[in-house]
Amino acid sequence: MSSQAIRTMDPQFMLTVLVRLIPPLGLTIAVSLAALVLATPLGLSLGTLRATLPDRHWLSRLTDVYVFVVRGTPILIQIFAVYFLLPVAGVKLPLFWMGVFALVFNSGGYQAEIGRAAVQSVARGQWEAASALGFDDVNTIRLFILPQAMRRMVAPVMNELSQLIKASSVLSIISLYELHKAAEAIISAKLRFVEVLVVEGFLYFCFIALLSVLVGRIEGRLSGAGGLADQR
Amino acid sequence: MNFDWKSFFEFMPRLIAAAVVTVEISLLSLTLACLLAPALAVLRMIGPAPLRFLVSAFVEIIRGVPPLVVIAFVYFAMPAAGLALDGFWTGVLALTVVGMAYAIEIIRSAIESLGRGQREAGLALGFPLWRTYIELLLPQALKRILPPLTNELANIIKASALLSVISVHEISQVGQALIFETFVVVEIIIQMAVLYLMIVGVLIWLSRGLEQRLA
Repeated sequence: MSSQAIRTMDPQFMLTVLVRLIPPLGLTIAVSLAALVLATPLGLSLGTLRATLPDRHWLSRLTDVYVFVVRGTPILIQIFAVYFLLPVAGVKLPLFWMGVFALVFNSGGYQAEIGRAAVQSVARGQWEAASALGFDDVNTIRLFILPQAMRRMVAPVMNELSQLIKASSVLSIISLYELHKAAEAIISAKLRFVEVLVVEGFLYFCFIALLSVLVGRIEGRLSGAGGLADQR
Repeated sequence: MNFDWKSFFEFMPRLIAAAVVTVEISLLSLTLACLLAPALAVLRMIGPAPLRFLVSAFVEIIRGVPPLVVIAFVYFAMPAAGLALDGFWTGVLALTVVGMAYAIEIIRSAIESLGRGQREAGLALGFPLWRTYIELLLPQALKRILPPLTNELANIIKASALLSVISVHEISQVGQALIFETFVVVEIIIQMAVLYLMIVGVLIWLSRGLEQRLA
């Protein structure tokens, strides 16, 4: 680690690093995807309930506290909490699933907000129209509100995957061998950092850039489909 | 498992001292980020082409990698470049860089959402382009900038927890050390969480006040 390190980037070494970082990248993607798959139904239904139940319902209050805690504390603290508190509570999980659990806890809170915002963004008139047609609350939500709200959830939820990929790097502190942990291990073994960090950053960047292009596409298609509700 | 109030209070002074460090680092970084971001956002929109490219590359790259990677890079690169910063200032620098990238994007999209007419009006009145952006568009965009910017500033505070990996004595690092020292888990984690909630809470409360004065 001298100023030498910055001037000479060794392409050969970078290639070895790249090859060695591919499996940990797989783990990063696996842990993030698993968390997304589990957190999305949880978060979105919580958010939908929050938007449809009255403010003073106990479930609304619980959701508010949950969202407040998730958004107000660092992911690092949430990972600590899962890592230290699950064993105290008598739950023994392998490291991977501890990571998934922490990310689900985190993402569930953010997705509850996505769900709530999407449902609340459906125009008031839709509720009135449905009830004028004689639909009860449950069927109004199922047949009128959700189909419109869900289209507005797609892009933010996919965005959430990028957030999860970035957040999963923090799982390195509990020694889950994901991309950042693997990069750190190579840095301390080889005492070279520029190449390693550049390759690591490149992998994260490519994946997240790919996702954001995808989200842009989907957003374009969904807004192009413009149903009645979108015409305001 | 009982909640042990005695150890809760026993550790409080050390955690509060750590919270002061968290607040110092966060305040410094978010002030620096807020000062630099508007200038860079304007550069990104109307600067000379090479600068425009540089700023947008900076924004895209920083937003595309985890903050932890930025922190690691600053941590390793600064000494290699011959600039010996301690953990505290390494942290300030890293968080400023991260916060700035997101803030530039927020400011740019707020200004671009204003509508072409404002810009045309400024130019028609004979304002030079940069004065149109700084004196006409930026103040108008402020109302749209503030809510997402508050979110981002809260993210800076939360990202400061990551500085525990480079041994800055902020809340997470001190809390983690206390846990390994004493094996008291629940009391310390709850206290850490409450401290962060309070710091983030104050920021949001201040920003709401500002928002109401702007409205």
